Amino acid sequence: MARSATSPAGGRNLLLGAWERLKSWEGLLLGVLVVIVIINSLQAPAYLSIRNQTNLFQLFIEKIIVALIMTFILINGEIDLSVASVMGLAASTLGRLYELGVPIEAAFLIGLAVGIACGLLNGFMIAYAGLPSLVVTLAGMIGYRGLAYILLEDRFIGNYPEWFSRLGQQPLIGPFPLALVIFFVLLVGAIIVLQYSAFGRYVYVIGNSREVARYSGVKVRRVKMALFIVSGLVAALAGLLYAARLGSVRGSVAEGFELDIITMVLMGGVNMYGGAGSLYGVLLSILIILNLRNGMSLINLTGHVQTGVIGVLLILSVLAPNLARNIQATLNRRRMRHLAGTLSEAQESP
Amino acid sequence: MHMRHISKSFGATQALDDVSLSIYPGEVHALIGENGAGKSTLIKVMTGIHQPDQGEILLDGRPLQIRNSAAAQDHGIAAIYQEPVIFPDLNVAENIFISHRDRGAIVRWGRMHKDAATILAKLDVKLDVRMPARGLTLAAQQAVEIAKAISLKVRVLVMDEPTSSLSAHEVAQLFKLISTLRNQGVAILFIGHRLEEVLEIADRVTILRDGKWISSALRSQVTTEQVIQDMVGRQIEDFFAKSQAERGDLLMSVRGLSKENVFSDINFDVYRGEVLCFAGLIGARRTDVGLALFGVEPADAGHITFAGKEVKIHSLEQALKLGIAYATEDRHRFGLAILMSVATNITLPTLRRYLTALGLVRQSDEYATAEEYRQRLSIHAPSVKVEVGRLSGGNQQKVMLSKWLNAGPKLLILDEPTRGIDVPTKAEVHHMINALAAQGLGIILISSDLPEVLAMSDRVLVMREGRQMGLFDRKAATQEKIMTAAMGQNRPAMEAQP
Repeated sequence: MARSATSPAGGRNLLLGAWERLKSWEGLLLGVLVVIVIINSLQAPAYLSIRNQTNLFQLFIEKIIVALIMTFILINGEIDLSVASVMGLAASTLGRLYELGVPIEAAFLIGLAVGIACGLLNGFMIAYAGLPSLVVTLAGMIGYRGLAYILLEDRFIGNYPEWFSRLGQQPLIGPFPLALVIFFVLLVGAIIVLQYSAFGRYVYVIGNSREVARYSGVKVRRVKMALFIVSGLVAALAGLLYAARLGSVRGSVAEGFELDIITMVLMGGVNMYGGAGSLYGVLLSILIILNLRNGMSLINLTGHVQTGVIGVLLILSVLAPNLARNIQATLNRRRMRHLAGTLSEAQESP
Repeated sequence: MHMRHISKSFGATQALDDVSLSIYPGEVHALIGENGAGKSTLIKVMTGIHQPDQGEILLDGRPLQIRNSAAAQDHGIAAIYQEPVIFPDLNVAENIFISHRDRGAIVRWGRMHKDAATILAKLDVKLDVRMPARGLTLAAQQAVEIAKAISLKVRVLVMDEPTSSLSAHEVAQLFKLISTLRNQGVAILFIGHRLEEVLEIADRVTILRDGKWISSALRSQVTTEQVIQDMVGRQIEDFFAKSQAERGDLLMSVRGLSKENVFSDINFDVYRGEVLCFAGLIGARRTDVGLALFGVEPADAGHITFAGKEVKIHSLEQALKLGIAYATEDRHRFGLAILMSVATNITLPTLRRYLTALGLVRQSDEYATAEEYRQRLSIHAPSVKVEVGRLSGGNQQKVMLSKWLNAGPKLLILDEPTRGIDVPTKAEVHHMINALAAQGLGIILISSDLPEVLAMSDRVLVMREGRQMGLFDRKAATQEKIMTAAMGQNRPAMEAQP
């Protein structure tokens, strides 16, 4: 009797422990990352060099910058599909203006302003006109991209002043180029704002429930408006950095980036419906994607295969918590049945 | 149709306890009871949505198992609810035949339109069957629902508060329709909140209270007074009795508060240290008055004086600044961020107090406040950092109260604060309301629970469908008086009762 009572309990503790660890999504991501890094460094000794790691970031730097603000937006229960088109529009604006003889510095600032304008428009439609962000930003994705094509038609604009082209590639501080420095500065800022400030708190609460936030005196519209404006600005900045790195601009710049960006955020454990997730998780998810791709390149897997693997990973990441919950529920039911069985046994044989 | 000794419980709540009911062809049987008396559960058992724990259902003398609503339909049992279930983009005929599965794979439009017209003619309803249902009035939509039931050869028709959103004229139309059905031999179970109406249409009356069968009688053999007595006559000794707090100064006075199509001409005063109850049935628009005072859905007209100053409340920020807080009846939709921690929820409306100069949240202060409330209201949570969604309903309620108490309100509006929570927690909440009043808060308690209203109130304001039906002093308020006012029966004979 005593044995049968203790053994499931012991098993339960173990399971519970595993469950708690798995439930901390960040913990799981960290584990996966460590495994990838170990395998990679066994494969290629140069893998861990600062040069390789910097390069690795360089390839995705624009996307991961935008992923930071996308994290806010998804936690807020919204989505911004227009980011890649804003990147393209800002870059195209810069190219066109430069072509017309506007100094590159002014063109850069106007490019950022265009991003803010796009964000304002998105934000207004979502926060004040009350339209769903999926539709508004889908329209934005098409519309802003269209504008970019109108500006440049099918031309490439290149031959920027040397300092601008260097922005993207040359080391600025130590071995790190400007874009990477910007990323880390934004990362620290984003973590402070999202995890420790009142604004960040409101982002989460609105993502939980707009109505609860409203009934608690949170200015829901202002928060959403601010998020989309910043999203436009950050996307424009990323687009301009991308232009600098490529050294030439055309209408199709950054096409399709929005999906990669959203993938990074979702794999970071941010709830698809808003209200939960963290920047730590997103950072880990970014590191996993970068290192995994790098590792796959080391063993000569093509880009297409890499993309496929990332896709499978995303599905798994959405599946895993559900699966874990179902397994837990089944175990609970079994345990209850077992308990009921033990009880009735005990009653029958007092 | 007979229902015998039906019992049904959900968890620890006994929703139905040994209820028996018989419905005869060609008869309108009214089912009456307060909110939570078990009427809805009984209907759901009849229509196969719930299975009874005990008891049996007989149709034509044969026992019957109703496993789901499709089975109920096969036996000729159908229900019509408060809000008609229609498909706005389909036309009248399509709506009528929406659940038919035996008309072949191909729609024969001509035949369908003809059949629909025949059914409507039988009901003496004039409607174009080709018209989309979108443009129909509520009454016409209900006629379509009834036609739908008839097309399914209904024998027992359950009507759950079909009149609650109809105008007087539309009610008359509906009653004509019910009479037609009755004359065609359909058995009708009618549930309503407006006692006059119910008694007008009913041939037989059954009263439920707290899930128990109280009485059944022919309409001709009961009086309105008896019905009300049966509905409310329960023991109230178990309830917490309010200790009378000293009534302080006038805190708020409201005159002629109105909002178009929602409520009109509401007048009351609230004093510090007083509990003013808003009583009434569901749909009395008490919550809307609360939301108007909280600035979420501002009123269009009326004067409010708060703490001696004439004020207009247009926004929630204003209300909070004045010191008005509102704890919602719908915790999940409006009250708590379920995925967030207890502490986060408690400090949400007052987050500004916990910020450093740089706008960062001082989490240690936040936890300290939350911890204080956890102990003061004995919130059962392992820590204030756990997600609020993992607490029980009663404890969630306490978290929500903490959230608003922390805002330091002068006037606290509590909307159904004890609905759906267990008895000990309920007593705790009552005790707390008392303590708050004793500290000099003005409290507006919106409650559909009559014993609670009687136990807790200093004064009771009764509403019915957006209108103020009466304002009673604690001494003058009785269950009968409140229920009479809430049901819209203002009879001098009742007023004369002590």
